[in-house]
Order: sequence, then C-alpha cells, then structure tokens
Amino acid sequence: MDAWWQCEIPYPDVAKNITDAADSVRASLPNSYCDPATAARHFDEVMDEFAYCDEVGMNVVCIEHHAGINSMIGSNPMITGALARQTKKVRVLSLGTLVSLRPDPVRVAEEYATADTMLRGRFDIGFVKSGGTEMASANMQPVNNEERFWEAIDLVQKALTSHDGPVSWEGKHFHHRHINIWPGPYQRPMPPMWAATGDPRSAAEVGRRGFRHVLVLRGPEGTKSAYEAHRNARREAGLPKVTTDNFAYAAMVYVGDTHDEGVEVGSQLLWFLNTSLKSAPQYNKFLPGAAPPQAAPGLYRTKPKVDAGIGFKDAEKGVTTASQNSQKLMALTAKEAMDQGILFAGSPDTVHKQITEFYDKVGGFGHLVLIGRSGHMTHAESMKGIKLFGEEVLPRLREIAPIEVG
Amino acid sequence: MGNEASTERVTLHGVELEVRRVGSGSTLLFLHGFQPVEPEASFLSLLGRRAAVVAPSHPGFGASTRPKDFESVYDLLNLYSAFIETLPGKVTLVGASFGGWLAAELAVRSCARIERLVLVDALGIKVGPRDVPDILDIFNTHPAKVKAATWADPNKAPDLDAMTDAQLVSRHRNWESLSLYGWHPYLHNPRLSYWLDRISVPTLVLWGAQDGIVKPAYGEAYAKRIPGARFAQIAGAGHHPELEQPDHFADHVLGFLA
Repeated sequence: MDAWWQCEIPYPDVAKNITDAADSVRASLPNSYCDPATAARHFDEVMDEFAYCDEVGMNVVCIEHHAGINSMIGSNPMITGALARQTKKVRVLSLGTLVSLRPDPVRVAEEYATADTMLRGRFDIGFVKSGGTEMASANMQPVNNEERFWEAIDLVQKALTSHDGPVSWEGKHFHHRHINIWPGPYQRPMPPMWAATGDPRSAAEVGRRGFRHVLVLRGPEGTKSAYEAHRNARREAGLPKVTTDNFAYAAMVYVGDTHDEGVEVGSQLLWFLNTSLKSAPQYNKFLPGAAPPQAAPGLYRTKPKVDAGIGFKDAEKGVTTASQNSQKLMALTAKEAMDQGILFAGSPDTVHKQITEFYDKVGGFGHLVLIGRSGHMTHAESMKGIKLFGEEVLPRLREIAPIEVG
Repeated sequence: MGNEASTERVTLHGVELEVRRVGSGSTLLFLHGFQPVEPEASFLSLLGRRAAVVAPSHPGFGASTRPKDFESVYDLLNLYSAFIETLPGKVTLVGASFGGWLAAELAVRSCARIERLVLVDALGIKVGPRDVPDILDIFNTHPAKVKAATWADPNKAPDLDAMTDAQLVSRHRNWESLSLYGWHPYLHNPRLSYWLDRISVPTLVLWGAQDGIVKPAYGEAYAKRIPGARFAQIAGAGHHPELEQPDHFADHVLGFLA
C-alpha cells in the first residue's frame, strides 16, 4: 500500500459567531472575512508541509475547492505547478482540477501536460465531479454536471494522447476545432488517472475506464459497495480483473506519540465536517439535480411525513446524495468518525490497526489518501503527524502488496 | 363555471405534451412560468368564459416528457412553433414569467399565427447594467427570500407541507427542467431585446405591482421595446398576478381581447 498526503488549505479563522450566523460558509460568505496576510501564512505553512512529505517519502495530493472556508485552493494548477518544484522524488496527484466547472477541457489538458513535464512523469491526474456550492461559484449548470464531467475527461484524454497535429472535438458540451497541445504529457500514453466518486453509476464508469478509484470519507459499507460496483462493471464488460492497486480510500488521519494524543489532535480534523461543510439549502438539497426527484417529499416538507433517510444505510444502497452524505458527516463525533473509518487517529500502532481493519472490511485497497491537516491544527502538529505517519506507519503499510481482486 | 375542461396528451416531435384545455372561443395559448398550470386554477376558467384556453406543460414539467438532450430554449421554441401550427386559426399568445420569454421569442420569429400577445411578468431580456441583475437568482438565493420576492402576500404561496408526494416529486422535476433551460445565460437571451421591434401584433405587458423576481420597471422597459405595446400593473400581486389576483388578471386579458 502506498500513501498520499493532502491538506485542503482551509481558512479556519472566521469567528464562530460569524459562521454560526451565516447560512453557508461556502459560496456566499463574503471574502472580507478572509485576511490576505493570514491566508498567505496558511499557504506558506502547508507548502512547507508538502515539501516535508517529500523528505519523508510520502506522495502528495492537491485538491480543488471554491469560495469557502473549507479550502483556499480554488486554482488547482497553480498549486500543482508549485508542488512540481517543491518536491523532488514523490509523486504528485492532482485531485483535481474540477473539469466539469471549466469551459475548456483542452486548457486543462495543457495545464496537466505542463505539470507532467515539469515533474518528469511523477504525476497522476485525478478527476472529481464537484457539485453543491461550486455550481453557484462556477456558474455551471448542475443537472448535467455528471454528463459534462465524463465528456470533459474524454476530451482531456483526447488532447493528451493526440500527437500528429490538430484534432477536432464537436461534442454535446464542448467544441474545439484545433487541438494540438505543446508540450504533450511526459508520460505516454498519459499519466495514471484517478477518479473520486461514490455512487454506483459513476463507480461502474470508473471501473470500465480502468481508473484508480478513490472513495472519500464514505465509511466501510459505502466504500465496499462502490469498489464492488467498479469490479462488477468490469466483469460485465468483459474487462480483465484488477488488483487492489486500482482502489484508494481517503480518510482523516493523524498519528501522535500516544493513542490519546493522536485522537486528541486528530479530532481537530473534524472541523472539516462540522464547520466547513455548512451550506445553505439552495446549494444542497434544493440544488437542481443534486437529489433525484423521488427524494423531493423529504426535501420540501418542513414537517416530514416520512424521514427522507439521511444515513449511511442509504449511502450503502447508493441512493443517498452527496449533500445528504455531508449532512450526516456534519454531526459526526470523533468516536463515530473512528468507528466509521472516517478518521484514523491514535499512536502508530493503533492507527496501523485501524487502517488494516478497514482494509479488511472493504476488500482491500492499494492507496491511502490522508486528509492530514484541517481546521485549527497547528503547523507544528501537522509536521509531527507527517513525521510519525511517514516513519512509523507507512513502512508497515508498504508491506501490503497489491493482490488481484475481482 | 360550466366551462368545458379536459387534460389531453399531444405527441409532437418526440415529446408527449400534457395539455390542459378550458373553455371555448378563439384560441388562447398560455405558456407557463416556473411551475405548470394547476388544472383547477381559477384564472383558466375565468379566461375560458371567452376563449378556448390551451395550456401545455413544458417538456420536463408536470406530466410532459422531455427527450434526452432536449434542454435548451432553442428546443422549446421549435416545439412551440410546431405546436402553434396545430392550433386552429390565429392565437392569442399569453406567456407568464419563463413562458413570457418563450412567447416573446416566438413572436419575434413570426407573428403569422399570432393575433395578440400578452406578456405577464415576463423574463427573457437584459435591461440594466451588466453588473446589476435584472432577474432575482432563484436558484442561488435562499428559498425564503425567493418566496418573499414572489408573492405580494406570501400566504398565497403553495403550501408544500400540504402537497402529496407525487406533487412534490413533480415540483422537483420541474425545478430541474427549468434549470436546464434557464441556468445560463440566466433566464434571458442577451440578444432578444435587439429583436423585440419585430413584434407586429397588439401587445399587452402585464405586471404584478409587487413582483420582486422582476420588477415592474423591467416590464416597462420590455413594453417600450415592443412597438405600440401597452403596459399595465396589477395591484396586490407579485410574480404571479394570474394566481394572486385572478379576477383582475382575467379582466385585463379579456379586455385586451375585446
């Protein structure tokens, strides 16, 4: 098993009375609450943490989110480009430019090919569907977001793999008559591809495409069923079996000297769930396309006749939407988060145990993505967690070799 | 009221349209706004005393189907151009809100089958400066604010708690369809204003005096761009004068027909 560290570079410094009073901490919270000097300090610290991951031999991940306290990485290519020079040996995963929010996937392919070239092939490309508040922030149509997502990926791949002069694209969502990027990607035919998705339909598509499939904070049942949907789709399409190397899981992870220290400091990561996910109803439950029309009775009634069923049970069946999943996550305690495999925290030994137990529950995965710093965790705490994980846990995880699953 | 009323299914160009028909007389085609017309809405029967009201639900609204990839105003305009040709004689075209945008676009394309045009709190054009929105962003604004902007008397708003599951499911599907048609550019065509002087039939622009979705000044600007158009406001109404003040609404429209 390999490991990848990431920090979303949040802005946790808005006063609690402000975030409590706001109906959303994303999309509509005025950026007057974001002090530029404080923001710059956060970027400095986290870039140093990424560089430290390179020293301890842990791969790094750069995400993207827009217009909120949860993350200041609105421009993934900027940070990915910086990581290309901040790191010397580890792999860099962009997870990723939100392609369904970008008007021209060819430009995204140019950015990715540039990053791959600067990194001399130490580069993985990941795709994330986006949704929620980002539909407002990016002014993008929410109902056909998923359809746009796959067409954008097709076009990025077309641009990355075409080398004989201009090619053309006239699709439903994207039109580009003269595609001929310079440079092309360093890795041929193209860098390894990842996608983060949890619902069975898109999990099946990830499987058919043979991407590395990453589940983010989905708990054991949701993760297991998404991996299964991935494998089933491959089997039904007559595609070869895959190994655990095709599967990844992203959780909050913190390692302290002792179990209690790891849990205490690691619990600060829950800020991401209980503070930074808050968003107004127009950005989640009423967002067109976010929930299927059949969910409407539970969404609209102020006095629900029947509970709409926000819970992991439904996530397992694949009918819980991402926004319902977030509502459940917002209320999570540290103990619940640890029981659900959302948070792995403790000493090197207890964290290793939690990860391997989760590994067994979901049928194995080859890559662990660490949501390593969030909320009010300090730079020093974060550096310590990276060091202890990298030195005490990662070597043991590396002993877990890929196995065929299917 | 004694009006004949029925709901029919009309298949046209791959779309199965739900069409409410009420009353008799010359044909009045009503194009609805964010939600389709309730079959028992009193304004329908009031209009039906003097006109044969034809009220289709847009594709993806109510019981009307929406074929795959049918998600643009371009699709709707082609469909309604074809639909108008199926109606007898010339029609009075009444468009409310989102349907008002469609009605204005149809009239710009051709008035050959249109006798008269009524735009009710119509969307569809850009009036103000580029950094001032003309139309409240109903998708990105808190539902409570949207409700307050929609109704002169918010007690007139539909009671979602009283609706059946099927009605709420339908409502959410309508919302999805509306967002496909109108998300971007937001519920208007930046070029429509330029073409409004192509409209060559008598036109009435009716507006709810307390409309907070699109203000009456927008309606006045709309009327100014259509040659000879009359502008009138209905007191005690927001974005839906046909629902909040059905009697006054019907008086205005029927008076215009006379």
